[in-house]
Amino acid sequence: MTKENQDKLIEAFATALNIDNSAVTEQLAYNTIPEWDSTAHMVLIAELEDVFDIMLDTDDIIDMSSVAKAKEILIKYGVEM
Amino acid sequence: MELQGYHVKLMQLRREDLEMVRQWRNDPKIQQFMLSQSQITPEQQQAWFEKINNDPRHLQFVIYYKDAPIGAANLKVISGDALQNAQVIEPGLYIYDDKYRANLLAFAPTLLLNDYCFDTLMAQKLRAVVKKDNIAALNYNQKLGYQVIKDGDLVEIELDKLNYEKVSKPLKRLLSR
Repeated sequence: MTKENQDKLIEAFATALNIDNSAVTEQLAYNTIPEWDSTAHMVLIAELEDVFDIMLDTDDIIDMSSVAKAKEILIKYGVEM
Repeated sequence: MELQGYHVKLMQLRREDLEMVRQWRNDPKIQQFMLSQSQITPEQQQAWFEKINNDPRHLQFVIYYKDAPIGAANLKVISGDALQNAQVIEPGLYIYDDKYRANLLAFAPTLLLNDYCFDTLMAQKLRAVVKKDNIAALNYNQKLGYQVIKDGDLVEIELDKLNYEKVSKPLKRLLSR
């Protein structure tokens, strides 16, 4: 993922989950912090789709259980490395 | 009987599922949040199945995702003689597979059950009783529109159709693509 796209990803997570950019680490996972609950997950999906101009399949929405997993999925959708 | 939607399938519990479900139910990670903490023997499981299998007040399901069993769900009548005539139904479920326990997918079987209760069985309300320390279940149900009607060591929560439809819309959109 390019540095620019990595920054966009961090920003998208920080915005959707309403957390500091520094809290967005590879290990950050769904439901491990109060801010990343199901409601925030929906906001996060909308944010990622908007920022990267993609439409995620439900299987990928379900699979997006961590920041690391989000990167993997975005690459699958052609977001540049 | 089978319900399908939101990427999951609910298949009515069969005799051959009994041992798998018994082991799930006896696992401390599931058992700790059950109202009864006792270990269930194969004989008890068998006797329970014989009792509820043709009881119109109960429906028991195994939850499947991508053809793999991931948990169990059930519906039961709060009062009355059959699910078809019930005004208030108590749904219950647990996800056994760790991969999907803290995952958006955990909402899918509930959406399916709730749609069935409100749209097919024409229930007026859904009700559940949750242990006070089961914070995950309380939060989960709150996200689906349930409201607390009685607080205590056991928390009683209720959901009506209007609230369910309003609150579940964004979740349904994500899980219906």
